[in-house]
Amino acid sequence: MSNPYAPVPMRVEKSVTETEDGSIRTISLTFPDGTAPFGFVPGQFAELSILGVGEAPFGIASSPMSPDMLDFTIARVGTVTTELHYLEPGESVGLRGPLGNGYPVEGLSGRDLLVIGGGFGFSTLRAFTNYALHPGNRGNFGGITVVYGARNPGLLLYRDDLCDWAARDDMNLVVTVDRADEGWTGMTGTVPAAVEKVKGVKSVLGGRAALVCGPPAMIRYTLPVLADLGLAPADIFLSLEMKMKCGIGKCGRCGIGGSYACTDGPVYSLERLRGLPGEFR
Amino acid sequence: MTDTIHGRESLVRLLEGILAMPGVTVYAPVAEGDGAAFDRVLSASEALLDSSGAVRPPRQILAPMTETLLAMEPGGSAVDSVPAPEPTILFGARPCDARAIVFLDRVYAGGDRIDPYYAARREALTILSIGCREPRATCFCTSTRGGPLSVEGSDILLEPSGEGWIVRIITERGASLVGRAGLGSSDGRVTDPAAFPQAGAPRDLSALRGRLEQAFDDPRWEALTAKCLGCGACTFLCPSCHCFDIVDAEEDGRIVRSRIWDSCQFKTFTRQASGHDPRPTGADRYRHRLMHKFSYCLESYGMPGCVGCGRCVEACPVNLDIRLLLDAFGGER
Amino acid sequence: MSGAGLSARIAEAASRLLSEGSAEVVIGFEQGSIPMRATPCLVTDPSDAGRLVWNAFCANNLARYLEPGRKAAIVARGCDSRAIVELIKERRLKRSDIVVIGVPCTGMADPRAIARRFPGLRVTAVDESDGMLVIHGGPEPVSVPLDEVLHASCRLCARRNPVICDIPLGDPVAERDPGFPDVEAFASLPAEERRSRVEAEMAKCIRCYACRSACPLCTCASCFADSSQPQWVGRGAHPEDVTAFHVMRAMHLAGRCAECGACARACPTGVDLSILNRRLASDVSELFGCRAGLDENAPQPLAASSMEDSQDFMLDPGRKRE
Repeated sequence: MSNPYAPVPMRVEKSVTETEDGSIRTISLTFPDGTAPFGFVPGQFAELSILGVGEAPFGIASSPMSPDMLDFTIARVGTVTTELHYLEPGESVGLRGPLGNGYPVEGLSGRDLLVIGGGFGFSTLRAFTNYALHPGNRGNFGGITVVYGARNPGLLLYRDDLCDWAARDDMNLVVTVDRADEGWTGMTGTVPAAVEKVKGVKSVLGGRAALVCGPPAMIRYTLPVLADLGLAPADIFLSLEMKMKCGIGKCGRCGIGGSYACTDGPVYSLERLRGLPGEFR
Repeated sequence: MTDTIHGRESLVRLLEGILAMPGVTVYAPVAEGDGAAFDRVLSASEALLDSSGAVRPPRQILAPMTETLLAMEPGGSAVDSVPAPEPTILFGARPCDARAIVFLDRVYAGGDRIDPYYAARREALTILSIGCREPRATCFCTSTRGGPLSVEGSDILLEPSGEGWIVRIITERGASLVGRAGLGSSDGRVTDPAAFPQAGAPRDLSALRGRLEQAFDDPRWEALTAKCLGCGACTFLCPSCHCFDIVDAEEDGRIVRSRIWDSCQFKTFTRQASGHDPRPTGADRYRHRLMHKFSYCLESYGMPGCVGCGRCVEACPVNLDIRLLLDAFGGER
Repeated sequence: MSGAGLSARIAEAASRLLSEGSAEVVIGFEQGSIPMRATPCLVTDPSDAGRLVWNAFCANNLARYLEPGRKAAIVARGCDSRAIVELIKERRLKRSDIVVIGVPCTGMADPRAIARRFPGLRVTAVDESDGMLVIHGGPEPVSVPLDEVLHASCRLCARRNPVICDIPLGDPVAERDPGFPDVEAFASLPAEERRSRVEAEMAKCIRCYACRSACPLCTCASCFADSSQPQWVGRGAHPEDVTAFHVMRAMHLAGRCAECGACARACPTGVDLSILNRRLASDVSELFGCRAGLDENAPQPLAASSMEDSQDFMLDPGRKRE
C-alpha cells in the first residue's frame, strides 16, 4: 500500500523573489532521479514540507504542459513558509501531490474565459493561463481575458509572464493595483472595478466562464459584477483558500458541508458552493 | 462448548481464555481515576467488566492521540512508521463504540485514499462488544440508528440474557476468535430488542437532518451555544471524531512528523494564516460540529457522525447537551 | 436559606435588573439536563429569569462569562467573586459594568465523590435539605451530608461569602481558613511519590483544554499553548509536552489563581492538578502575605513592583546575583 503521507524528495532548482518587499518567492522543483513527473490539472495543489519544520499546502503555479519542473509561489507568513523561503538551489523539499480537483479544463473547452485573480491567489490562475495559451491548447478556448490585481505595483507577481501576455494578440490582459506608486502607468483600482471595465468585451464563441481566486473581499465584490455580465453560477469557478492539512480528506480541517476542499475542491462552481453551508460564500 | 455465558465468573473466564491466546494484545476497560478507559490488559483482574462503559472511547486504539507518521534519524532519510500490530482484541466495547469504528472505517479506510496507519491497526482488530442492559441518563443511541443490541461493527456481541450473556457471532473474524477461545455460539436472535429499556424516544434522523439544514441561519444558534467554553472535551471524548493536525518535532534526537488530535471547536482550527476565519465565532464552530455529525456525514459517509454514546453530554464542563440542541433545531416545529 | 429560597430570590433580582436595564445579561445557573448538574445560564429576557436556580451542583466559575464592556449581573459566591476581583485588578473588567448578586456558599457537591460513596448507584435526582443530600435512583433514597461529598476546592475554600457584592442574598455563612493542609501533606511525601502522583494525573490529560477554557483567569487572547511561532510547547500527548503545558499554565496563574477548582471540575478525564496551583498560592501567601481575590485593593504580587524590591539585578543587569 502506498503511503499518502510520505512525501517525494524534490530538488530545488531555482528560488526567485517575486515582490519588492521580498515577502513572496517562487521556488521551482524537479523530481528526483528515477521518479517520473506526475500529470496534473491547473488548479491542483501539493503539500510541501521540510521534515522537522512542517508541511503546508500550495497551489501549483506552473503549467502542466511543462511537468518536469513545478513552480510554487510562497508568501512568508509562518514557520514553514519562512523555511521554504530560505531553501537554496540543490536543497531538498518534500512534496505530496498532486492534490485536489483543479479547474474543470474539459468543461471550459470552447468557451470565452475570464480569469480573475487578486494578490497571492493568482498562482494557480497563472498555471491555468499558461496552460490555456500553450499552442497545443489555445485552440480549445475562445477569447481569454485575464484580470489581475495587487495592492501595489511592488506586489505584482510573475512579471515575465505579464510582459509576455501583454505582448500577445490572442488574449486581453488587465493589470490593476489598489494603490499606484510613482512609476506606475497602468490601471489603478480594485479587481472588481477592473472587471466592470471589461464588461464590453464581446463574446467570441458565446459560452463564457470565469475562474476566480483571491482574497474573500475581492471575491465578494467580484461576484455581483459577474452576475451583471450575465454569467450564471454554474459558469463561475472559485478556487477557495482553505486551511488544509492532510490533503486526502481525512483530517477534517477543510470541510465545507459534506465536501472536503482538499479532495472535492479547492475549485468549486458558484452553483455548487451555493448548495453548501454559507460559511464560504 | 457453550453458547451462553452464565454470570460474571464466566465472563472473566472468557477474558482469561482470550488473554491466554498466544500473540494477542487485549484492550478492555480499566479503572482510570474515578472513570474508565480502554487500555491494554495483561490479566482479567485488571478489566472493569461491570462498568457501564469507559469514559474514554476506544478510538485511541486505532487512531492514537499522537501518532508518528514519519521519522528521520540524524543524517538519514525519512522513513514511514506504518505499524505492524499483532492481532488485537477489543474486549467489552459497547455497541455504540463498535458502530463508531464503522464510522471511522469509512473516514480513514474509505474513499480513494486509504490511511495506511489506521488500516494496519484496523486489520489486526477483533471487536467483542457487550450489549447494554439499561441506558444511562446520557445515552441516545436509538436516535442515531443504533441500539443497545446493535451488532454493527462488532465481530462478537455478548447479548445480555438474564444474569448472563448469549454469544452472538457476527463475522468470520468473530467465529475464529470464538473457536480459539473455546466457546460456541447461538444462531438467530432470541431476545427481543424491544424488551430492553430504550434511551428515550428515538429521533427520526432523516427528518432531523432536513430540519437542521433549514435551521442553518437560525438566529438562535448564538444564544443556545453562548455557554460553550470552546474547549475540545466533546470532540476528544467522542468515539467517532477523527480530525487531526500534522506537526513536526524533534524527539530523542530524531525528527518526527506526527499527527495529533485536533478539534473543530478550537479557535485555531480553521483560522488561516492571513487571519481570515470562515468560522470565527463559537456559535459557528458549535453549529459546524452538530451539522457535521447529523447532516454532512450522512451525505459523505451514509451514516451519522454520532453514535449517541452520550460521552459529550457527560464530558461537557458546562453541560451543553447536544440532545437539547438537536431538539431545538431539528425537533418538530 | 434553602437552595429553593435562594433560587427564587436570584430569579427575582435577575428579573428586576433586566427590566430596569441595570444589566444586559444575568449570569447564573439553571437546572442541568442530567442528574447532579446545574448549567450556566445567560438570561437576557426578564421572562426567562425563572429558570435560574441555586443548588449544590453549581460547579462552574461564572466569572468566566463576564466580557469587557458588557453590563452584566452575575450570581457570585466566594470563588466567583475572588475571580472577579482579580479580573478588575487586571483591568479586564470594570467594576461599574458588573452587578454582583452575592450568595453565601457552603460548598458544592462532587458527583464523583457521590459515586464513590454509593458505588453502582445510578443517580436519578438529588434533593437538598439542611446540609443533607437525599439521593434517588436506588430502591430507596439514600442520604449523605453535603460536607462529606464536597469538591476538594470547596473543602479548602478560604472565602465562602462574596468578597464584593451589590445585592446580597441569604445570610452570610461563617468564614474559616483551612490553610494549605493539602500542600503540606503533598510536600511531606517522598519525592518519588510526588512525582508519580503528578505523572498519573498528567497521563490522563487529552489536551482538550477544558481546564483552560473553564478558568476565569485564563484570559490571554492568545494562549502560549496555541502559539506556533515560536512553539513553546508541543501539542500532542507526549508526557513532557503535557507537563510543560500544565506547569506553564499554573505558573501563569501564580498570585492570580482564585483557587476555585473550576479547572479540575471541568476536566472530562478527571485530571486534578490543583495541587500545582495551590502550591503556588501557598508560596505567594508565604512570600507576599496575600491570597488572590481576597482584597480588592491589594496589588497582584507578581504584577507589582517597587524600587524597594530586593531583586535589584533587574535594575542593574551587570551585577551578579548573590
